Amino acid sequence: MWKYEKKLEYPVKIKKPDPTAAKIIITQFGGPDGELGAAMRYLSQRYTAPTPEVKAILNDIGTEELSHMEMICSIVYQLTRNLSPKEIKESGFDAYFVDHTNGLYPVQASGYPFCADIFQSTGDPIADISEDMGAEQKARLTYDNILRLVDDPDVRDVIKFLREREIVHFQRFGEALRLVTDKLDAKNFYAFNPSFDVKK
Amino acid sequence: MNDREKLLKRVQMYSFAVTDAALFLDTHPDCAEALAFYNKNKKLCEEAKEQYEKSYGPLCVMSEQNDSRWAWVDGPFPWELSAN
Repeated sequence: MWKYEKKLEYPVKIKKPDPTAAKIIITQFGGPDGELGAAMRYLSQRYTAPTPEVKAILNDIGTEELSHMEMICSIVYQLTRNLSPKEIKESGFDAYFVDHTNGLYPVQASGYPFCADIFQSTGDPIADISEDMGAEQKARLTYDNILRLVDDPDVRDVIKFLREREIVHFQRFGEALRLVTDKLDAKNFYAFNPSFDVKK
Repeated sequence: MNDREKLLKRVQMYSFAVTDAALFLDTHPDCAEALAFYNKNKKLCEEAKEQYEKSYGPLCVMSEQNDSRWAWVDGPFPWELSAN
């Protein structure tokens, strides 16, 4: 189960609304390498993780991703407040606005809705953790691209924090992969699936 | 930055240290140095939370509540500009 703490993991205080920035940053809510997908990926994979350390890291990174989803939503929420119809039209935020007004709905930057197709849960820890390491890199590069497109220091500061977390998570998943392979036959890690083939 | 923001920032800082140390400990459960870091920051985090809650209301639904009002519902909520 989870308990809510009435605070963000890192402060989000964006003084100037900017619907154009919101349109691209929302991809880290509902996009292919976004925080919602990350949380669902790890929290789905954890059940069949083969060792206690791997169960713990999937559980705890998955939980941190929920707090990152909340930070991304807070950014989008604050970037889209107090907008006039003129600003909505001129920024191109109108296509989102017509369906969702200022509500938070998980979409990619292109407007395509969140889809579970963007992650896997295979029941094979080597496949899952390899995907997780790739996912952290893809999220990191998405944040790099956001930093290429957004100038506001209030937004950049939060995006830089989230980018750093992708790097730390990549490191922890690398350690988790080693913890799995250390217990397998080094000549053939793929001889069997340690979450399925091992008899208890 | 007002007093509430300063106190909240302390909570966020120690809480983040705890979150990050916990991830490291998940893959290094026998690291004494990391455990000491975790324990030190956990204590500082608890103290900062207690101090914040005394003046600005509960951070958790299970935090100690005042007898006259369910202060959990009182804003600002974390995603609001004025909360940060």
